[in-house]
Amino acid sequence: MGNGQSADGGADGDGDLNRGRGRRKQEKKKYEPPAPPMRVGKKKKKTGIEGHTRLPEVFPASKCKLRMLKLERVKDYLLMEEEFVGNQERLKPREERDEDEQSKIDEMRGAPMSVGSLEEIIDDTHGIVSSSIGPEYYVNIASFVDKSQLEPGCAVLLHHKNSAVVGTLADDVDPMVSVMKVDKAPLESYADVGGLEEQIQEIKEAVELPLTHPELYEDIGIKPPKGVILYGAPGTGKTLLAKAVANSTSATFLRIVGSELIQKYLGDGPKLVRELFRVADEMSPSIVFMDEIDAVGTKRYDSQSGGEREIQRTMLELLNQMDGFDSRGDVKVIMATNRIESLDPALLRPGRIDRKIEFPLPDVKTKRHIFNIHTGRMNLSADVQLEEFVMAKDELSGADIKALCTEAGLLALRERRMQVTHADFSKAKEKVLYKKKEGVPEGMFT
Amino acid sequence: MTSVPKPLKFLRPHLQTLKDVYEKMKDKENKFLLADIVSLLAMTNANVSGEVPESLKYRLLGSKEDIGNWGHEYVRNLAAEIGTEYHRRMEQDGEGASMNDLMDLVYEIVPFHMQHNAEPEAVDLLLEVERLDVLLNHVNDTNYARTCLYLFSCANYLPEPEDATVLKMAHSIFIKVGKMPDAMRVALKLCEQTIIEETFNACTDLGIKKQLCYMLARHGHPLKLDEGPCEVPEENLDTLQNIMSNSDLTKNYLTLARDLDVMEPKLPEDIYKSHLMDVRAPSGAAVDSARANLASTFVNAFVNAGFGQDKLLTSSEPADGSSSNVSWIFKNKDHGKTSAAASLGSILLWDVDGGLPQVDAYLYSEDPYIVAGGLLAVGLINTNVRNECDPAYGLLYESVTKENASVRIGAIMGLGLAYAGTQKEEVSELLTEVIHDDTAPLEVVAFAALSLGLVFCGTCHEDCVSTIVQTLMLRPEKDHENTFMHFLCLGLGLLFLQRQAEVEATLEVAKTLPPRISEYLQTVLDVCAYAGSGNVLKVQSLLAKCGEHPEFEEDDEWIADPQSVAVLGVALVAMGEELGSDMAVRAYDHLIQYGDAAVKKAVPLAFALLHASNPKLDITDLLGRLSHDSNEEVAQAACLALGVVGAGTNNARLASQLRQLSSYYYKEPSCLFLVRVAQGLVHMGKGLLTLSTSHSDKALHSNVALAGLIITAFAGLDMKHTILGKHHYMLYYLFVAAQPRMLMTVDEQGDPLQVSVRVGQAVDVVGQAGRPKTITGFQTHNTPVLLAVGDRAELASEKYIPLTPVLEGVVILKKNPGWVEDMEK
Repeated sequence: MGNGQSADGGADGDGDLNRGRGRRKQEKKKYEPPAPPMRVGKKKKKTGIEGHTRLPEVFPASKCKLRMLKLERVKDYLLMEEEFVGNQERLKPREERDEDEQSKIDEMRGAPMSVGSLEEIIDDTHGIVSSSIGPEYYVNIASFVDKSQLEPGCAVLLHHKNSAVVGTLADDVDPMVSVMKVDKAPLESYADVGGLEEQIQEIKEAVELPLTHPELYEDIGIKPPKGVILYGAPGTGKTLLAKAVANSTSATFLRIVGSELIQKYLGDGPKLVRELFRVADEMSPSIVFMDEIDAVGTKRYDSQSGGEREIQRTMLELLNQMDGFDSRGDVKVIMATNRIESLDPALLRPGRIDRKIEFPLPDVKTKRHIFNIHTGRMNLSADVQLEEFVMAKDELSGADIKALCTEAGLLALRERRMQVTHADFSKAKEKVLYKKKEGVPEGMFT
Repeated sequence: MTSVPKPLKFLRPHLQTLKDVYEKMKDKENKFLLADIVSLLAMTNANVSGEVPESLKYRLLGSKEDIGNWGHEYVRNLAAEIGTEYHRRMEQDGEGASMNDLMDLVYEIVPFHMQHNAEPEAVDLLLEVERLDVLLNHVNDTNYARTCLYLFSCANYLPEPEDATVLKMAHSIFIKVGKMPDAMRVALKLCEQTIIEETFNACTDLGIKKQLCYMLARHGHPLKLDEGPCEVPEENLDTLQNIMSNSDLTKNYLTLARDLDVMEPKLPEDIYKSHLMDVRAPSGAAVDSARANLASTFVNAFVNAGFGQDKLLTSSEPADGSSSNVSWIFKNKDHGKTSAAASLGSILLWDVDGGLPQVDAYLYSEDPYIVAGGLLAVGLINTNVRNECDPAYGLLYESVTKENASVRIGAIMGLGLAYAGTQKEEVSELLTEVIHDDTAPLEVVAFAALSLGLVFCGTCHEDCVSTIVQTLMLRPEKDHENTFMHFLCLGLGLLFLQRQAEVEATLEVAKTLPPRISEYLQTVLDVCAYAGSGNVLKVQSLLAKCGEHPEFEEDDEWIADPQSVAVLGVALVAMGEELGSDMAVRAYDHLIQYGDAAVKKAVPLAFALLHASNPKLDITDLLGRLSHDSNEEVAQAACLALGVVGAGTNNARLASQLRQLSSYYYKEPSCLFLVRVAQGLVHMGKGLLTLSTSHSDKALHSNVALAGLIITAFAGLDMKHTILGKHHYMLYYLFVAAQPRMLMTVDEQGDPLQVSVRVGQAVDVVGQAGRPKTITGFQTHNTPVLLAVGDRAELASEKYIPLTPVLEGVVILKKNPGWVEDMEK
């Protein structure tokens, strides 16, 4: 198989490390052609497909006949490939051949294999491995091992006797990341959002349209935004809107809360961010939603504590992933926070976050809408005058209104009534507002 | 429904009611207006197949007010529906269907699109209703470029009769707006003599006419200027003739070389750079020194091509400083001397006046091999260059009928090289005689056929066709086993290069031939005729052929030969457009995986055809892997292919890959020879030459260059009898395709003019909004500059106006009358 020096490597084992120039002068080695060059250890970008087998890109991106003709041409070729491969498989099924080869490889691998980790790659055919028990060995790497999969630190299969590397173990995606994927679409849809029309439109333009109709942006000649940040007082519907986006899109939706990015061990946080974006890239088109981003995204400052520095590093990784050297394809980022002023300016610069969408406290019209949504399914008595609450000057957020309605319902329940009365609402409002102001005497700051 | 006014959105659920109201409405005026609204609202409804699309239906019933009033979305939707309706009516009523109402609408929509920067959409609509001619009335100076660019790019992907219509439309638009160089590009793409001549005659400006001559010369399609349809007035004849015949090629090339400071001749060792190789490589022993010398000969020939000086042949003092006075030629054996002598021709490439006297001495040598080499050198010097005295024919024609086979081959090959693509009748007469001669050895006949194919490539010249066909029928059975029978077939194939359906009659004849060559000839003809067409059906049938697994005995390997040709054929057919060539690479992946030996060995050569002088990383990687294949033939083909793929690029990565290969194959002289040749090719012309057949923004393919590459690829299919055997000089066929990859700017008198240009990666801007940048990642240089594959150049300032939009080769610049020199600087 062309691995010329594997023989001597196996024979003198460790001695091989210190073979000097003097020794080679003494014994003229019999010439053997060196092994073909191989790409070792460079982990290719995992797009799953090799360069020359990837489909060519088709321009122009706007809808026109030329594009259709080109795509049809590509399709024709793909059909031909399918036909060709299909015919060949019929002549000699792949399984048969694969089975032959597989059994050969199994034979070479030997029956019980052990798992070790690759410490270092010496050359094309040798490496240093360590097993769980402790000692490190200088061993051969079998020629049939995919060298492009090897990199220092990865898990490898070892032969049971001579500990040669006979296979690699694919490192899986961090299980943390797979948890983040939203498999079941949330129930909240755009219809459940009261008001916020402008915000919905903005987020649709920035997140949904680029994924569904990229050609529109091409037509105009602009690049679609990469990410948006939603900010505003608590309870104004940021998370709700994100849920609605997840509900309406068919793109992969990954969600993560800022605090999840803070990990116990050094380097785990940034790694998680990397994994997150890699997974997003693999499953693209996708939307990444990061709630409470202020947990990691606060302004940088000189800090003495290791923990804080780690958090800052996590943010730096986040910065890099969002607009770094590698281009992210169809990955859109939505962030949500209620303290935008404390975020690092680098995070918010255009190119990372192209749109900042503010969620203000609802105005009268919106309040009425929200009240209607929440009371829509409630059993109200005839005397309820929602207008009174709507027009009141109190600063009610969407969440407050929901709490108010719930509270009113609970009060009605307490008295075993089937209908919620106006009095319930008034009482509930007092209660909610009192809780909100947390004991500040009424009338002082209003 | 973004463009619909808000109030109308609420009407959407009531569409049906509105329609009912419409039916009942009496008032004419209002009825029209209601129809307009229904038409707009119906946009959102899915169309029912087999019926008139609703939006269109109501539009036709409506008030016919200005179509733009309802916004772009509406117009676009209407255009789409017109397309569907047109096809529906065609299906229903056949050709005679009445389309007047639709056409009226089309006449309204097209100008709307053309005025609003939506040229692609106008073209799409007209393509749908098959009325491209309407376009001509609506193009003007501002939108012709985008329109034609779109038409031009569409042509590659449309089925056969339509593509010509589209191109002709683009041609007439260019003529209308007076852009002759553009029109000439389209005419060359159409490849019809009458249109080319027409374009040439339509041009009145002398400067532009000169530019056209440069373009025609680059394309290898010279026109006769002294007589016939393209006659030019006496006073301009000389200048134009001079340009058309490429006489300045050597001067320009040397100017470029001097400018880039690469005049210093190089030794083969400068290319091998063995000092960079792994120290472990052993020295001496087991090297076939004749082969090594031959390899050096070729490397020397490729590297110093066209520079007029080298250190092995032309220098007066011995190269290595030793006192040996023996000429390099005599360091080669027998047929090696032919190649060595011929290499002088490649060093003096294009330099007719200065070169011929230097070669002259060889022609009177006593050694027939050297005479043959000398004759070949004469041919090489005249490759792609024509001289009024026509020295090549004078020097060569006598030797064609000589006794010695080598001499004859030299003369015949020389003729082919010197007159490639010129369709010179005298050559045909001379060569037909040779081909008809049954006593001549098959090799001689085969070379004569190849030369004939080169001289008349893509012309379907009747006499030549019948000559070769007859010979194929009459040659004795014994000859069929000879490899050179294949080249006889190839000669015939080249005559039909890119002629598509015109090959049919000859194909029928091919079926009647003896089985041993019948199928082979059929495949060759098919492949050549459809080269560059991008015809998907052909690719399909060729792939099917590649996928066969014929079973044969040890001696009957010839059965698989057509398969190898089919593999090359996929590349040839697909190379016409970029998508196809990309997809073909994918298809080859499967061929490597499933194919038999005959298929596999042709795959590297197919890559060479697809990517000549275009060393893309994935291709060189793939070839690198194949060059270590356990099958010797595959490995050898891959070595050669690496050279062709990197030809003239000086690609450092490829160079080191080849160095590694050379140490890997240290013990195998044949592989080593090919690796050496590949090394020479990579540094061809010290990096100033290209073998690519495409030019002018990859839009045009030069037939002659393609023919040269095809011959080399065919030679690569049977290395043992050609390149690795006695006929290694077949490698010189590559020089037919060699052209300097430069951009040279000259003023209207034809003197070099230095201007600064931006050179960068070309961007595909078809159908893009606004005025997109055509190049990216550019650098600014002064002309003359080198252009790599996929590079495009544009002038850095507006001081001069180029006479052609595509800055490649030689470009004439005109002073911009509106240019004001910046006073402050």
